[in-house]
Amino acid sequence: MENEHIVKKFDANLEKIKATIIEMGGLVGLQVNDATAVLLSYDKSEVDRIRTYDRIINGLNKDVHDRAEILIVRRQPVALDLRQTLAPINISGELERIGDHAKSTAKRAHIIHSAPRADAVLDMITQMSANVQSMLEDVMVAYATADIELAEQIRDQDKDVDAIYKNAVQTVVETLSKTPDNAESLIHLTLIARNFERIGDHICNIARYVHQIVTGEDLKASVDPADLRLDK
Amino acid sequence: MTDPIITARGVDIFYDTKQAIHNIDLDILPNKVTAFIGPSGCGKSTFLRAINRMNDLIPSCRISGDMKIAGQDIYAPAVDVVALRAQVGMVFQKPNPFPKSIFENVAYGLKIHKITTSKTEMQDRVEWSLRSAGLWDEVADRLDDPGNSLSGGQQQRLCIARAIAIKPKVILMDEPCSALDPIATAVVEELIDNLRKDYTIVIVTHSMQQAARVSQRTAFFHLGSLVEYGETKSIFTNPTDERTQNYITGRIG
Repeated sequence: MENEHIVKKFDANLEKIKATIIEMGGLVGLQVNDATAVLLSYDKSEVDRIRTYDRIINGLNKDVHDRAEILIVRRQPVALDLRQTLAPINISGELERIGDHAKSTAKRAHIIHSAPRADAVLDMITQMSANVQSMLEDVMVAYATADIELAEQIRDQDKDVDAIYKNAVQTVVETLSKTPDNAESLIHLTLIARNFERIGDHICNIARYVHQIVTGEDLKASVDPADLRLDK
Repeated sequence: MTDPIITARGVDIFYDTKQAIHNIDLDILPNKVTAFIGPSGCGKSTFLRAINRMNDLIPSCRISGDMKIAGQDIYAPAVDVVALRAQVGMVFQKPNPFPKSIFENVAYGLKIHKITTSKTEMQDRVEWSLRSAGLWDEVADRLDDPGNSLSGGQQQRLCIARAIAIKPKVILMDEPCSALDPIATAVVEELIDNLRKDYTIVIVTHSMQQAARVSQRTAFFHLGSLVEYGETKSIFTNPTDERTQNYITGRIG
């Protein structure tokens, strides 16, 4: 194949990093799914499983960093290769953060599992969860296949997640005034909704990195930091 | 851990009264690529050449200490240097094909070491060597052309084919890519990685990047001493000696 490196190990090294990211994406997806399940129907063993996933994900995150470091040292990547080496460091960081939000959700589910259910808010959270899970799957496909159109769509889909989050917060505020005794669990639910909103943001960041790998263009860099200096 | 194929103990090398190598202990592991790096004059080439007694050709050069290959003391009086060099092949900085045909270049070692006299066997071995050196497809239809009609990168692979034709245990490479362009360099580096399955390779390189790319183990020489030796990964990510750190990061040369 004309796109292969003369030194075949180079391709093997890059592929291994990619495969590790995709494995991380799969596990993080399971974590988000399980955290949502725990929230709807509490199960202590699932909370433990989410913690185990978290340890594996942290291990894979380190693995990506180590592999990228060695690849930089041994292969001196440039251009596309450089972006394919650096972006995974950031992508694995984003995935690891998504995992943290799933873990936080499971912990809060544990705290509130015996409190009265706020079904309206839970429904919205469930919807956010379904949205981000589908976005996460898509972003992994976009990364694996260098599909920047799909990456672009994912960034659009995040607007829906943000809208549901806004609604959820509004609903909590309204519910609070009616059932102030439920304040503690409602606050936890708000923070859980916030977790899913942040998960959407991390997925968008991954979509930006996919765009950057393929095009070399950094979508976040449209503002020159020098323009924002306070002493200007 | 695997037994080393080359063991050096207390090796000192002098040119007249000037000491070029100071008391080096070094174990080289089989089927690995070991890179020698260090600034010019650090002794890395001198040490490399001591592994197949190329320094014998320099009258002012003398060596003391132990140098063993597969347990055999290569400086023992009974050692036949020609036989030693059949075990320890060498590839030089500048491709140096003999002024002979491509075929004859590869067949030469087989003839002088009397490895085979059968014509078919000779042809088979030449083809095998050229294939192993990744050159066969480029030269199969012009084996009678002169070796020096090839491009620089092809000539270097021809020299590698010539070295492996006699199936040595060890291949020494002294700056094998310094006369090559980046693409020819990548081809030779890929070849080095493939050859490692069957041979032990020791390579001297001025390019630290090349050492990082091709080797599994790296030895850093400075002022005739072995400063640091270990896994290439650790040498280039977390060297233990400050001199290694300063050299690989471009702070001393």
